[in-house]
Amino acid sequence: MSARLARGLRASLFWGPVALILVYMTIPAFVVLMTSISPSELLEFPPSGFSFRWYERAFSYPDFQNAFVNGLIVTAFASSLSLLIGSAFAYLVDRYVFAGRAALEAVLASPLIIPHFTTGFGFLLLGADLGLGQSYAVVIATHVVLTLPFVSRTVYVSLRNLDPALERAATNLGASPFEVLRRVTLPLLRPGMVGGWLLAAILSLTEFTASLYVTAQRTQTLPVAMYTYVREYTDPTIAAISALLIIFTTALMLLANRYLGLRRILAIDAH
Amino acid sequence: MRPRPFFLCFFLPSLAAALLLVAALGEIAQYAFRVFTPGSLEVGGFTLDNFARLARPIYLSVLGDTLLISLATSLFTLLLSYPVAYAMVRAKSDFLRSLIMLLAVTPLFTGEIVRTYAWILVLGSNGFVNTVLKSAGLIGAPLGLLYTRFGVIVALVQFSMPVMIIILATTLAHVDRNCERAAANLGAGPAQVFRHVTLPLTLPGVVSGTVVIFAWTMSAFSTPQLIGGGKVLMISNLVYLQGLSSFNFPFAAVLSLLALAVAMGSLGSIRPFVSRLELKAAIN
Amino acid sequence: MALRSAAVLAIGAMLLATAPLRAQDKLVVDIWGGNFRDGANEAIAKEFTKRTGMPVEFITGGTIDRLTKAKINRDHPESDVTVTTSHVGALYVSEGLFEKLDMAKLPNAKDLFPVAIRSPYHIGLYSYVYTPAFRTDLMPAGYDIKSWKDLWSPEVKGKLGLPDFDPSHIIIAAALLAGGNAENWKVGIPLLEELKPSIKAFYQSDATSQDLMKSGETPVQVLLSINAFHQMQQGIPIKIAIPKEGAVVGIDAIGIVHGTKHLEAAYQYLNIALDPEIQAKLCGIYRCGAMNEKAKLDPELAKLPGVFTTPEQWKTQAIAVDDVTRAKLLPVWKDWFTENMMQ
Repeated sequence: MSARLARGLRASLFWGPVALILVYMTIPAFVVLMTSISPSELLEFPPSGFSFRWYERAFSYPDFQNAFVNGLIVTAFASSLSLLIGSAFAYLVDRYVFAGRAALEAVLASPLIIPHFTTGFGFLLLGADLGLGQSYAVVIATHVVLTLPFVSRTVYVSLRNLDPALERAATNLGASPFEVLRRVTLPLLRPGMVGGWLLAAILSLTEFTASLYVTAQRTQTLPVAMYTYVREYTDPTIAAISALLIIFTTALMLLANRYLGLRRILAIDAH
Repeated sequence: MRPRPFFLCFFLPSLAAALLLVAALGEIAQYAFRVFTPGSLEVGGFTLDNFARLARPIYLSVLGDTLLISLATSLFTLLLSYPVAYAMVRAKSDFLRSLIMLLAVTPLFTGEIVRTYAWILVLGSNGFVNTVLKSAGLIGAPLGLLYTRFGVIVALVQFSMPVMIIILATTLAHVDRNCERAAANLGAGPAQVFRHVTLPLTLPGVVSGTVVIFAWTMSAFSTPQLIGGGKVLMISNLVYLQGLSSFNFPFAAVLSLLALAVAMGSLGSIRPFVSRLELKAAIN
Repeated sequence: MALRSAAVLAIGAMLLATAPLRAQDKLVVDIWGGNFRDGANEAIAKEFTKRTGMPVEFITGGTIDRLTKAKINRDHPESDVTVTTSHVGALYVSEGLFEKLDMAKLPNAKDLFPVAIRSPYHIGLYSYVYTPAFRTDLMPAGYDIKSWKDLWSPEVKGKLGLPDFDPSHIIIAAALLAGGNAENWKVGIPLLEELKPSIKAFYQSDATSQDLMKSGETPVQVLLSINAFHQMQQGIPIKIAIPKEGAVVGIDAIGIVHGTKHLEAAYQYLNIALDPEIQAKLCGIYRCGAMNEKAKLDPELAKLPGVFTTPEQWKTQAIAVDDVTRAKLLPVWKDWFTENMMQ
């Protein structure tokens, strides 16, 4: 067998399965999109027609409207708080050595390992015993704790890549520590901080399991509202919302790839 | 001592966040030891009964199921993710690499409810799979894919693949191509290069990725809840059933602690193993 | 940093923008979602808003989930009025979550069947049954259910759907078949264990129950009559059977949340819900039995299985268990069911 043919055969033996795997990964999204435009309430493939009624219903359903707003409120507060605390913590870990540092790091990183339902349940109990019930404060606190490890890690990576000479130069020129922080460090950290903030925002907006425990009806976020809907109605309205979310995230990813070089951020480009 | 200008104002918020988390976990620990009054949220005094209850066959079987499903998911995820990660890093065309990355990573950000619901549409009796198979004449009656462990695992694997792919891709990207080229120059065929050079070099990533997915799957909730439909119970679903649906907070707390212990235990036990592997890879 | 100030401003703006949404005075009713909420909206809420000018907001969830959340949020309740099953209502009462009702403020209550006054704190709104039902097009021709025992027949193997949030009905039925009753339900345990191979899936809510029936995953179910009728209206061929032992009666009740800030409005809502015409309208939508004697149900509706309009029907076709017993046994039943039937 010629070398070319052998190589071609090997290539298809590799790319064939890879293509199939990719199909497996994308089928759900594809099915959701198809279902969202189906005119009928019952599932059918292929859909018998074309209709936007489920999109209409998704937009006009008051629970979704409220949940969407709730999600924005919770995410805005949670991701901002997470950014502030996470950046502070990353700075702490990068620059200072102090007693109990390892313990603090372990505790703040633990939400990565602790099942979300455990964290959510714990905050539910905490809120109940503090008399806060399922108020916004409890939901925001939960989201902050859950997103903190991601933010601090992103900012930490940025800090590590910072050239200390720049800060030293500023100090030598007479800047106070506060001025150095404000005019040199923070601006240099901006990409990392923005990335961390965005990551926290996405994680908070889509977080479900912990939110299921800590949200009440009035404070429920969109994923929780969608879950409740699936348990209460059997029509494809969720397909419409899901389709919107899929389209939105895909567009976001395309933009991120084009302008920020997503592969570089995820550190998956070969050297 | 070196001056620490911002120490206090950076330390205090971090400490506050840490204390909140500790308090939340402490609540769970505290409830685990209290007596449950049926029908009430008020708890009684100290007891170890809730822990003893764990020994009942159903809870052991749910724990067993959870471990089994997590293991199966992480292994299959690894199997399917490695080729995709490899393709994503080594593909010759930039377009292909970007395309694969987009297809693989975007689902991660759409949220678990969207993804779980999508699988319901795919696996149901009138869902995509059954409709396609039926119209192709391959089956007469619809396959029961929902409410089975198989369905749950299929969905969980697809859930976990983006994370595994990212981890594996990062590891693969750091493999020194020179090692591979050296092996090829010495006469090794591509399959041998992979087996003896690439794979061992990526082993730390493989192991840590598998363990991460294992721990992550242990805490899966919406997938077994919606796709398992009450017939496939993982620990998370039991916590919800006992906690919010039966207001037996003490026992739900015990189950939560159990899940936490297993997750931490599995990650902790692998750590020395992984660092040894990393050392080996670094030396090579 | 400009970015930070922009973020703070954005948050502030968003909060301000959403403030009016929250400030509007409205009556909040918590109830089940789906067709239950839609029916209540159509029959009761619209009339209430017409008469008082106050909008009604519904918050929804599962029966026990809502109770748990009510308990947790007892110091700042989310809703003003609660609609729940009568026996779970007894749990609300024992937790002090309902206001004691001043009957003078509920003139329509005087025309109710005696069985409607569940307690000084909650009143029955309508009745229905949980009973075996099946897809006529998915079961063999000529198949029928004449007794609860028929659920154990080989034809039902792997086809049965049961609720996981409230196993009362099948447990009570098994107890009756074994010669016992709700109190000494354990005599029915051997029968229940025999039923396991017949169970295909459990449903967690009204919607999942309907899903399982509609898609044919479980062509035989212990089904809530209201959900059965809802699907039949959508064209799904279902037959409801009232077994010879009777069907397990359910009554949904309404109560006023303790600590509500809209007490007078809540009383008005309750009174409207108990109005004979509104009752007739509600039952026309749900296909259920009314609690107000004076409610004139459509004769076609009155003929439907599970719609009880005469004392005779209540005596021969209904399996009714008193609220307190049922509430006391519910957690016990749930535990037993989860541990023994769901695996």
